[in-house]
Amino acid sequence: MTAFAKGWEGLPGFVSAKESFGETTVTVEREEIHAACERARDDGFTFLADIVTTDYLGWGHKGVSGYIGTGTGRDLNHPATQGFQSLPAPKPKRFSLSYHLLAMEQPARRVRLQCWLDEGESVASVVSVWPTADWHEREQFDLMGVQFDGHPNLARLLMPDDWEGHPLRKDYPIGGEPVRFSDAE
Amino acid sequence: MTVAPERSARSRRDWPIVFPPPYEGSRIPARVPTILDVPAELLATDDILQINFGPNHPSTHGVLRLIVDLDGERVVGLNAVIGYLHTGFEKTMEQKTWWKCVTYPERIDYLGYQNAELVFVLAVERLLAIEVPEKATWMRTLLCELNRIHSHLIFLGTSALELGAISMFWYCFRERETILDLYEMVTGARMHTRYFQVGGLAEDIPEGFYPECRKFVEWMPHALDDYLALLDRNAIWLERTKGVGLLSAQDAIALGQTGPNLRASGVDWDLRRDQPYLAYDQVDFRVPVYAGGDVYDRYRVRMDEMAESTRIVDQCLRRLERMDGRPWIADDRKVVLPPREELHTSMESLIHHFKIVTEGFRVPEGEIYVAIESPRGESGCYLVSDGGPKPWRVHFRAPSFVALEATATCIGDAIIADLIAIVGSLDAVMGDTDR
Amino acid sequence: MADEPTRLRDYGLQSERLLWPTKGPSRFEEELGVEDLERALGLTTLDKAVRWAQTKSMWPDTFGLACCAIEMMSIVSSRYDLARFGMEAFRSSPRQADLLIVSGRVAHKMAAPLRQIYDQMLEPKWVIAMGACASSGGMFNNYTILQGVDRIVPVDIYVPFCPPRPEALMEGIIRLHEAHQAGVPPAYERREVAT
Repeated sequence: MTAFAKGWEGLPGFVSAKESFGETTVTVEREEIHAACERARDDGFTFLADIVTTDYLGWGHKGVSGYIGTGTGRDLNHPATQGFQSLPAPKPKRFSLSYHLLAMEQPARRVRLQCWLDEGESVASVVSVWPTADWHEREQFDLMGVQFDGHPNLARLLMPDDWEGHPLRKDYPIGGEPVRFSDAE
Repeated sequence: MTVAPERSARSRRDWPIVFPPPYEGSRIPARVPTILDVPAELLATDDILQINFGPNHPSTHGVLRLIVDLDGERVVGLNAVIGYLHTGFEKTMEQKTWWKCVTYPERIDYLGYQNAELVFVLAVERLLAIEVPEKATWMRTLLCELNRIHSHLIFLGTSALELGAISMFWYCFRERETILDLYEMVTGARMHTRYFQVGGLAEDIPEGFYPECRKFVEWMPHALDDYLALLDRNAIWLERTKGVGLLSAQDAIALGQTGPNLRASGVDWDLRRDQPYLAYDQVDFRVPVYAGGDVYDRYRVRMDEMAESTRIVDQCLRRLERMDGRPWIADDRKVVLPPREELHTSMESLIHHFKIVTEGFRVPEGEIYVAIESPRGESGCYLVSDGGPKPWRVHFRAPSFVALEATATCIGDAIIADLIAIVGSLDAVMGDTDR
Repeated sequence: MADEPTRLRDYGLQSERLLWPTKGPSRFEEELGVEDLERALGLTTLDKAVRWAQTKSMWPDTFGLACCAIEMMSIVSSRYDLARFGMEAFRSSPRQADLLIVSGRVAHKMAAPLRQIYDQMLEPKWVIAMGACASSGGMFNNYTILQGVDRIVPVDIYVPFCPPRPEALMEGIIRLHEAHQAGVPPAYERREVAT
């Protein structure tokens, strides 16, 4: 019987837990994420599958209604929310940072620990909990600009070292070159 | 050094393979888990040569750059630089509708392309809660297992090529051509087939596929015997791969390894068996696990996996042969394109087709993480949908990315020739690493 | 018949016989028949002969980047044997290579090494842009992929598709051979791209 079989309230920094599409998402306070990860690892979640950051800038804004192939042409920076009947509920902060954990047991257990950040806020690095987090955190820093405190080597990983900006953010343009008559993309 | 000293006196018959078993405790480099630092006393001797295995080098992994510090021939420092193939898949997919997105994941892991397609399509189907017909599930299983054989064949051919067993390349590519012929027959393309759609398959399985596939299934064990005969008792191969690149089970889990790299370190974990998807809970197969943790065991795990995949393909064939005439894609016209004949007669089909192609179908709001066992390990897709026609966020968990994290730990006491063997055995595809 | 050029010297070619007027026909000429000598020999210019030699052994450089590299490896395999054209010797060092087959998408980070490899190759050198990504950026029109390698290296042949079939790549290679044999100069002499 695991410590969290009946509920995740015992986790340090626990805010809420949610079940959807067959998986559990546990939201934790940003300041307590390191302690929460340690508790989860001690409970059997010895495997960190992934660290993902999602940028919710522009979430739920009204977009251009109608088709994406509109006469205004290609708008490279506009997030994809167009003419919905109901807009999605707003998110607490701009970035969500998800840790996908796996307990290699029979039956397997998976959980997503999630915390929310704003621009400029930093998060404790979990390299001391799972060493594999090293490159995952570097990638998230490189592409999204999330600062990880205590990371031994927080440098750019995928982009060239002198690149400016964080490409996966929603206010970063898609780049490339303009293509005539291709208004959808 | 990991090789016994009296090399010339040894005959092939009495081969006492003495190699160190995986170590106790952890060997993860202390300061940074993924960088091997030169010890200070060696740096002081001023005898360290730093060389650059640049992004363009003969071993055929793709564009991986290793900055290697050498003390004579021994590797004392290692730093892997990636990003030379960063394609921006995740941001590009945010600009495309869900239907058009399917062509992107294939190019991420370009050796296990069907598995990469599959993970994305499974994630979208989970969000849509759409039910996939049985025929599509079994055909997906078959094609994914063929893809596993394909990926392991290329691993075997190129790893052997790098270590000097050049003939293996031609043997492995001979079987690879047969697999690609099967793909071409079914999907129309050799690689990057775009055959898996949200809801099932793009087209029905053509006539003549089952006999051809059965011919391949009957031939493949003979081909595997060929490969084993070439390599498995070859003294040079054994010396170059046994005891090289050791990774203990504890370090493997700590470094996030999955797939053959993990199973070669003695950890019995396979998502096909432990978190089954598609039809894997209805097929019978073994999961090879070896405890040596070295390059040889990773090679053996992949060889055995090829044999098991052939058995799975055989079982899928037997099930599929009885499913002629059944639907191959889901019936939900809001998501799935209608058949082209209907467009001439049905107004609703025309409207659905138009809306799906121009605006795209809508996927309900939510986030999901789906993981499958790709030839490289746990390949995952994290999707966030805002209810619109395009993804809000797509992220792929790349097994090759974490495999390269383990390079610094696997190196241990290697010499530069072993470095090639180790990096080859981790089976990292740079498209998967850099995304 | 005496007016038609039948002898080597009628073509303006010096042979030892011309320099040594009293020397009779050599054994070789006697065997072939002195009258048919010009028909039995191949007459060519030095340029054509050199181009023939270059065409028949144009060694590619190992520049596999992404998925196209796998199809490039398969043209060396036994079904689409590239050794028929003398090109199975993929040289790892650009100093020994004639042909750069850019196979795969080129990220901006990789563009500098690509140009460096191209510069390290010795003239004459050719570039084949294999696949849609190398030709034009392919399906990736974004912040990180170079929209066609012809922005940084002059390209001779573009091979489309994603990835091109091995036969398509071989068609591109053969067209390059034919073009070079016919006298078309390599791309760096024709185009003003970043030379």
